[in-house]
Amino acid sequence: MNTIITAKDLTKKYGQFTAVDAISFDITEGECFGFLGPNGAGKTSTIKMIHCVSPVTSGTLIVNGTPAHIDNRAIKMMTGVIPQEITLDIDLTVYENLMVFANFFDIKRKEAKKRIADLLKFVELEQKRKTKINELSTGMKRRLLVARSLLNHPKLIVADEPTTGLDPQARHLIWQRLRQLKTQGVTLILTTQYMEEAQQLCDRIVVMNGGKILKEGVPAKLVADEIGKEVIEIRIPKEEDEKLVAELSSFSCGHERVGDTLYFYCRDRHDLMKKLVELNLDNYLNRPASLEDVFLKLTGRSLIE
Amino acid sequence: MNLSYRVYYVFFRNLISYKRFVVPTFLVSLIEPLFYLITFGIGMGAYMGYFGGKPYLYFLVPGVLVSSVMLSSTFECLYGTFVKMVHEKLYDSLIATPVSAEDAIAGDIAWASFRGLVSGTLMIIVAVFMGILPVSLISLLLLLLLMIFVGILFASLAMIVTSFAPSFDFFNYYTELIITPMLFFSGVFFPLDRFPAWMKTLSWFMPLTHAVKISRAVFSGTYDPELIFSFLIIFVLEAIAFFIGLKLMKRRLIK
Repeated sequence: MNTIITAKDLTKKYGQFTAVDAISFDITEGECFGFLGPNGAGKTSTIKMIHCVSPVTSGTLIVNGTPAHIDNRAIKMMTGVIPQEITLDIDLTVYENLMVFANFFDIKRKEAKKRIADLLKFVELEQKRKTKINELSTGMKRRLLVARSLLNHPKLIVADEPTTGLDPQARHLIWQRLRQLKTQGVTLILTTQYMEEAQQLCDRIVVMNGGKILKEGVPAKLVADEIGKEVIEIRIPKEEDEKLVAELSSFSCGHERVGDTLYFYCRDRHDLMKKLVELNLDNYLNRPASLEDVFLKLTGRSLIE
Repeated sequence: MNLSYRVYYVFFRNLISYKRFVVPTFLVSLIEPLFYLITFGIGMGAYMGYFGGKPYLYFLVPGVLVSSVMLSSTFECLYGTFVKMVHEKLYDSLIATPVSAEDAIAGDIAWASFRGLVSGTLMIIVAVFMGILPVSLISLLLLLLLMIFVGILFASLAMIVTSFAPSFDFFNYYTELIITPMLFFSGVFFPLDRFPAWMKTLSWFMPLTHAVKISRAVFSGTYDPELIFSFLIIFVLEAIAFFIGLKLMKRRLIK
């Protein structure tokens, strides 16, 4: 597999503020690569540099064999962008939005018409051709953004939190469409705060915080390595922690106290569960470890403003 | 500078969106000149007698013509561009395509100039109905070119203001302190001859003064070698404003 994107010591500064702090990563052609992180982690700044709308402060960033640069039209020509904000043209109808955009990519009118018809079908908006943007629901707007990003038959799709604010139906439809694109060989770059989204779509992820990459890997493996297989949440008063931790010290489980809950991260829960039943605790929950645990472990559980 | 033929695509986008606003903007473009021509031209003109052997309206029409171009193109690049940039985030999606920031801004300047041309043309039509005609067909064509030329100047100047405007309110400074005085001190409504010397000097620094001079000369077909000078002033200012406008707007759009 070929590498489509290589970043080395990639840095982005806005004045004195460092949004992306000397990160390095490679993205392989045809994979779905996810940037995870809380607000302000530097995800959006990173992908804006990749699709050439924000200049690189320092370091190197090679996309499809050429350095990413604000005036690199070749990269923009082969990239489809699904932005975080809904940047549809509200003065135009659904069809006009796509037609005007097709123009920007030098797509001839006849070809554009054909592509628009196909894409409206793909995102299930055929009935809304003549509708104005303000009359669409958020889900429809997001689907239209997906259609818009595909007009130029991109080799690379950059999706910045593509399902924010959507109901489960709309979210699943977008996921299906993105997976469908992946089977066609498109490289997909995704930023998200939804762990389920990352697990559904991504082959590899990086977890970012404060402009740095904290961890990189395959989602399932990251969960296994960082957390284990199981998580047990116990809601007991903080004063009882010490006693309980001592009682459970023979099991090889990591533990962590956050707010009103004591967490145990285990590879094998059976013995621990038995012990808990013996102790007759009633306020506990056992569940499989998830990417969300990795995320919270790496980025901290406190609120990020 | 990264300008390309894609300027046209941005112009085209504006043209498509314009379809929905054609009727209201035509009405505004028609009512405004009518208002000037009736109040100043007919009302005040009755007291003014003849200017250089012709009725006052012949003096007034070419002046109001370029000032309506100035107002239309200015407002388009102030409010129109600001809404597209800040409220609709249109530029954000534009610059993610092969259309560069410069293409997008130049496209908007071209569009604003076109809006000026439409206003000015409507104005000529009104004047024709009132019996006030440019001296020849060639002079009419030259007037159309002049309108495009003047439109680009004021669109570019407005673009500079928009590039650092924090909000709509900011535009009031520009329109009240620069544009409105220009309307009254550029010899649109009356000749500058009887102004005190300092006022004449002041008006010399106003680009509209030179545009009005050229417009009046073209309208009546009486050319003066001094006009070359006026033309050069507008041309140089326009070139500078265009490039500064593009640069500053790019700085605002790309971070």
